[in-house]
Order: sequence, then C-alpha cells, then structure tokens
Amino acid sequence: MVSDNERISHICRRLGYGAQPDMVATVGSADAARDALLDLSAPADASFRLDPPDEFDPETDRGNLIALLSFWLEQLATSPRRIEERLVWFWHDHFATDVRKVQTSYFMYLQHQTIRRHATGSFRDLLHAIAVDPAMLVYLDGAQNTADAINENFGREVMELFTLGRGHYTEDDVVAASRAFSGWVAIRDGSRARRPVDLDPWTSHFIPIRHDSGAKTLLGTTGRLDAVDAIDILLEQERTAEFIAHKLYVHLVGLEPATDELDRISTAFRADYDTMDLVTAIAAEPAFTSDAAVLAKVRTPLEKAVGVVQAFGGERGRLRSLGDTLRTMGYVPLAPPNVAGYPEGPALLDPHRLVHTFDFSVLIPEDVRGMSPVEIMNRLGIYDISPNTHDVLESVPDTGGRIAMAINSPEYHLV
Amino acid sequence: MTEQQDPRCPSLTRRRFLGALGASVAVASAGAYGISVWGRNPQDSGIAQVGTTTTTTTAPPLPAGTLPIVGDRTLVVIEMGGGNDGLNTVVPHTSGRYHDLRGELAVVDPLDLDGEIGLHPELSYVADRYAAGHVAIVEGIGYPDPDLSHFASMATWWSASSAGEYPTGWLGRYLDATSGSDDPLAGVTIGPGPTPALLGATSFQISVQDMSGLSPQIPQWIDSRDELAGLWRGLAPAGFDDTSALDVVRRAIEVTTDAQDQLNDVLGAPGVAAPTVSAGRRRSDLEESILVAAALVTSPTPPRVVYIHGWGDFDTHEGQADRHGDMMAQLNAALQSLFAAADSAGVCDRLVVMTTSEFGRRPAYNGSGTDHGTANTHFVIGPQVVGGRYGEAPSLTGLDTRGNPRHSVDYRSVYASILTGWLGASAEALLGETHETLPLFAT
Repeated sequence: MVSDNERISHICRRLGYGAQPDMVATVGSADAARDALLDLSAPADASFRLDPPDEFDPETDRGNLIALLSFWLEQLATSPRRIEERLVWFWHDHFATDVRKVQTSYFMYLQHQTIRRHATGSFRDLLHAIAVDPAMLVYLDGAQNTADAINENFGREVMELFTLGRGHYTEDDVVAASRAFSGWVAIRDGSRARRPVDLDPWTSHFIPIRHDSGAKTLLGTTGRLDAVDAIDILLEQERTAEFIAHKLYVHLVGLEPATDELDRISTAFRADYDTMDLVTAIAAEPAFTSDAAVLAKVRTPLEKAVGVVQAFGGERGRLRSLGDTLRTMGYVPLAPPNVAGYPEGPALLDPHRLVHTFDFSVLIPEDVRGMSPVEIMNRLGIYDISPNTHDVLESVPDTGGRIAMAINSPEYHLV
Repeated sequence: MTEQQDPRCPSLTRRRFLGALGASVAVASAGAYGISVWGRNPQDSGIAQVGTTTTTTTAPPLPAGTLPIVGDRTLVVIEMGGGNDGLNTVVPHTSGRYHDLRGELAVVDPLDLDGEIGLHPELSYVADRYAAGHVAIVEGIGYPDPDLSHFASMATWWSASSAGEYPTGWLGRYLDATSGSDDPLAGVTIGPGPTPALLGATSFQISVQDMSGLSPQIPQWIDSRDELAGLWRGLAPAGFDDTSALDVVRRAIEVTTDAQDQLNDVLGAPGVAAPTVSAGRRRSDLEESILVAAALVTSPTPPRVVYIHGWGDFDTHEGQADRHGDMMAQLNAALQSLFAAADSAGVCDRLVVMTTSEFGRRPAYNGSGTDHGTANTHFVIGPQVVGGRYGEAPSLTGLDTRGNPRHSVDYRSVYASILTGWLGASAEALLGETHETLPLFAT
C-alpha cells in the first residue's frame, strides 16, 4: 500500500521535479498537491537573457552555454511553475537538438526560449516555431535543404519522431515534406562571408530562390506546399494528437493508457492542441494517482541530480561537477545522445550509470551531521522505505555516506 | 571462467535476472521497433508490469551450455551509428557512375586495392592488413524491403529480424546459449549504456564507458567512502523475488556488483575515485573505447563479445567530406592500436573485429552530404580471417525508386558466417533460419 505522503510525493515527482522542501508536510492532500503543481500563477523568471553576439567567438559561445545550462538547472530545482519545467524538458527531449552539432549556444538559447514560451501553451504554435527554428535548421540540416539539393533529414524526423510516428507516412511523403520545408537558412553572425545579401543575423530566413515551389502531395493533400502548409497538414492528422497525447501520458503516468483513456485525452487535445488541457486531462485520470503508477518509472540522471539539489541545496560552485556527472551519464541538457532524445526506462539501470549514481554525492554539503535514514529519505521525497534499505542506511556510520547510499538506493532509482 | 564465479551469488539467483531487468527491458522494448533499450518506445517508461512476462519470442531462449565456447576467442563489434557511407569507405573509384553520382563528394585519392575498389585514404592500416590477407570486405550487405528509419533499421540489425520476432539481440541470444548468467564479463558493451544487440533473456551485458571502469567518484570528506561500494551490495539482499520495480533495481545492483571488482581489476581501475572537474580535451570516444577493448581482450579471461557503440555521428546529411574523413581516421587508428595491443600480448589470433551500421548512404550527393541509403559494405578483420572481397559491390546503375542500391548479401549471412566460422555456434539456433554462410574463416 502506498502511504498518503508517498502519493503526494509521487504527484510532485511526476508533474514537477519532486517535492520542494516542506511541500509534502504542508500541502495536505493529493488533490491539493495536484493543484499546486499545475499552478501557473507565479510569474516566470524573466531575469535571464543573452544578447546576440557581435561576431561568433568560441569563448563567448562557451560562456553562453554555461550560463544557459546554469539558468536551466536552477529553474528545474527552484521554479514555482513546476509543470512548466516538466514540460520544458519534455519538449526538449521531444524536439531533441544537440549543441555539439549546432555549435552555436545563442541558437540553443533562442530555441530554449521558444520552448519555454510555448511549453504550456499551444503545441500547434510550438511545432510551427520549431520547424523554422535556427538551431533545428542546423541540427536536422534544414539549412542545407534547397530546391536543387533536397535534404531529407528534417522532413523524415518531423513525421517519424515529432508528429505521426513510424508507419503513418510513406517514403514519398518524406520527399514531399522535405521539398515543402526547403529554402530556410539560419544566419549566424554579421561577418561571415557566405552570408547572403542583407539578412539579419542570429535568426532564420526564408530564401524564395532556395525553395522548391513546385506541386507536392503530402499525406494526400496536393499543392505548392511550403513549411507552414506542411505543418498544418501534419496537425490535421488525427494521429498527431494521439501520438503526442500517448507520449505525454506515458511520460507523466508511467503506464500504458487504456484505449478509452487514450481516446479521451487525445480528443481533448486535438480540439486546439492546448498542452495544459492535455496535462490536466491526464492528471485527472484515476490511473495517474493509482498505486500502480507510484514508483513505476526509472528516475533519470537529471531527475536524480535535481532531486539532490532540492533536498540538500546544491551550491552554484558545484554546478561544474554536476555537469561532469551528467555527462558521464549521457544526460546533459542540450546534448541528447541522438535525434530520438534521451534514454529512459530500465536501460538507465545499466552498471555504468548505476555505479556513477554515487557521483552525485559531490552535491552533498560537507557540514551535514546526524541525520537518520528516515530523515534523509524523506528529504529526498521518499516516504515508503523498505526495511532492507533502512537497515543498510543505518549501517553506514556517517551522514555523508548515508546520503550517498540513499541516492543509490532502489527507492531513489525510481520515480 | 566459471571457476571464478562469485560465491556470494550462485548462478541460480543470477538466472532469475530474466524475471527482472532482462525481461523488463525485453518486454518493454518489444514494441513498434521490435527492440529498443534506448527506451524510446512508449511501453519503456512503465516497468511496473515487470514479472508479467509477455515476451513474444518464436522460441524460448536456449539454456546456457547449449552451444560450445571455442577457446578464448573474442568478437569485437564496432558500430558506426547513424549510417556509415560504405561507398566512400570502400570506393568504386574506377566507376564513372560513382563519380557522376557523388560529384565533389567523390573520394578522388583512394588507396587502391585491386584496380577496381580502393579504401578511403585515411584507412591506411586497413589497406596494409588487406594486403596481408587479414581483411574481409563484404559488399552489398542489406535486407529485403529496407526501412530508411534509423531506429527501425537499427532494431533490425540488433535483433536480426525485421518483423520483430525477437525481443532479444542476436549476440544476446549467443550469450544466453553459451555462458548464460554464469560469467559476468562474457559480454561487455563499451559506450553510453547497454546495446540491444547484446540484450539476452538469461545473460546480461556489463556496460562501461572508459578506463575508469565501474569506479564511482566520491568526495574524500565522506568518511565511509571506501566502504560504500561493499555496503551497496546489501541493498540487493538474498531472497528478493522479482515481483516489483524495486526488485528490478535490486537485480541491477546485484549484477553490477558481481562484475564490478573483476572488471576494475582488468582495467586497473581504482575502485573508488575522487570527483574531478573535466580538464581540457578528452580522447576521442573511440580511442578511449579501444583502450578498454584492448585491456579486455588481452586479459587472462577475455569476454566472448565486446560491443563498441555510441561512437561517431555517421548520419552525414551535411558536411560529410570533413566529418566522414575524421571518423575514418579514428577508425583506422583504433583498429591499429587494438591489434597492436593484441599483438604485443601475443593474443591477436584470438581476436576478430567486425563493423556494423544500420544502413549505407544514398549514392547521389545532396549538395552537402548524403541521405539515408540501403546496401552497405563492412569489414571483418583479424589474422584468422580469410582476406578478400565477398558479396557483390552494389550496382550503381540498378538503383531502386528512392535512388538506393539493392543488396546482394543478407546481413544475417554475415552474422551466420561469424557465429559458425568464428564463435563455433549454430547460426540456425540463434537466427531461427538458415542463411548462406560466407567462407570468411579457414576451416
């Protein structure tokens, strides 16, 4: 049986990144916890911004990347808009884009701001924005996609990974979509010799002469389709709403939706692709707070890191070490391992990642003293502790070591 | 190696790994792509249904010991993720059609092998070994009705089935049928996490990233830091029963601790390290992976299978000329250092290396790179290999409607050739049907 506190903590873990200190003790009930986690009335933190560089410079670029990651990690741990952080990560994973290929932190910043702006809003707006987003144009080679030389990278992945899923389009659709998306470029800085004419730097542009303006047939619709048309066609497919609704359901609930559940939530979503409507519908399903859903997912390395920071207050100076640990785990924000995003599920319980879970002990403050196993686990948001885990934690003599062990306990590996 | 079995953990317990981690990965992954421990299938997030074994194998896994282990032989697989451009790796440089299709991307100065094909100019070590008769070049590898999705095609190569008949990997099935769960280091993956190719039903793979092995980084100020790894094992106590998600984690901890000390010994890893902040350049992923592979294959108890993945980005839709050349140079250097290590340890006769990739790339240049293709060319390398050319070079005149070449060798024929010729295993038992074998090894 799942205790009341564990269920409240579960809601905090799934709709946000865990219970911020004292949340479980004060919130009172599961319903109140759900309302608190979905509450977007607190203002967003607008303090962070980057200015477009005058010219591209690797050192400035690296500084920008660290600043962006620092901002993001702090938001993950402390933002009062908890569902927004959950969704910002969900969409980054969904529209996986890798700074190691994009090579331009300012573009990653622009994409991050775009995702943040639309994360809790309209998926329709988000998808349209992503299709011509500078970082995405670089990452999936849209910037090389021209009428003379069609590049299929984005045209394929936008259907396979972003909207329909495999089996719901043909190779002819891949070509048609790629042609429709042709003609967009991302302009990096003002000094580059190959910069076409007088285009503003640090954004994307449509260059008509690079676009294939001929007729195409995409998913049964024929016309002189461009990027906007193609995205609209993808959004008209019932399958797109179902694909996104299914993915978000599994992300939040950790179980497969029943057929009638999936019907309900995808119908709610398809009306106008409002992401918060979808989230609210999923969180209202009884399965979301059921015993079966509690601790049914494997905690990701990022969730582990954020949880430790929330529990024990990671200092900013340790952020660099945290970045190294996330890199060891292959889980650095803005650097997904491939176009399909970050690994999830039991694959995260491989020996390498398990052993290096101890590395998060770098976040433990050196002055911790005298905490019992129960205090430590509660601080980490875990209330139902197995007797064996309790005994092992008790056998560790010092509090620092006890916390390190708690971070690598079976309970903490799950969410 | 069975003599070194850890007495703390009898194999019977380990075999129940099937009920936990192995099965959960397998169950979770038998979805749209057939197999995926990357967890991109919707089902992968939920592990609560662990223990409800709904796997869909055509046949039950073969028990350990069904197939023999031949000597101390090791197969090292190097996976070139993203789709390596076989046409610019093994170059048909005398073909006018090749130059027409490739334009400025054509390799103009290949290392000629026989007046017809040549190797990418960065592959000088491979060319030397070819001249010595130690390199099999298998041309035109593919499968019927090729799928141009990375993920679908990888699932095909990993599981050795296109229709999702197998929730396990082709090498995972080999490990199941040989050492099973008795040898924690029989299958080692070097890269970012496990590979579906080594996903077994009863066996398991140890994944490791670099020479630091399975050594956590724990701050010096933590008084119990040297005891933590030992105490950690207690979190997987005897007698847990694989019925809950918590038990899945316990099983994973048990498996990890079984292999941890042995692997760290082989790699000379410290067991526990101090936290570090990254300093400057790291070795290329492959260079580091090869150090690990060399330590493993030259150890007194080498793994049966070492699988290197997560290296490189071969999905060269763009900027291919530079990117592909860099990766060819890395591959060449890696092969050279691996065989040099094996040579100096006197064990190179125990080593065969093969390359894989989910597909080749389209013959036509797209203006900056190449799009997803089909039939591809791969290497099988080692002193025991009968060098030469196998299969048929993909025809550049008989392309399919997508502009891709048709295959002449089924990829499962390559697997079958290696399973029977090198590992001494029955290919039929592991692949489910009979495939033509190539005489890659002297009989």
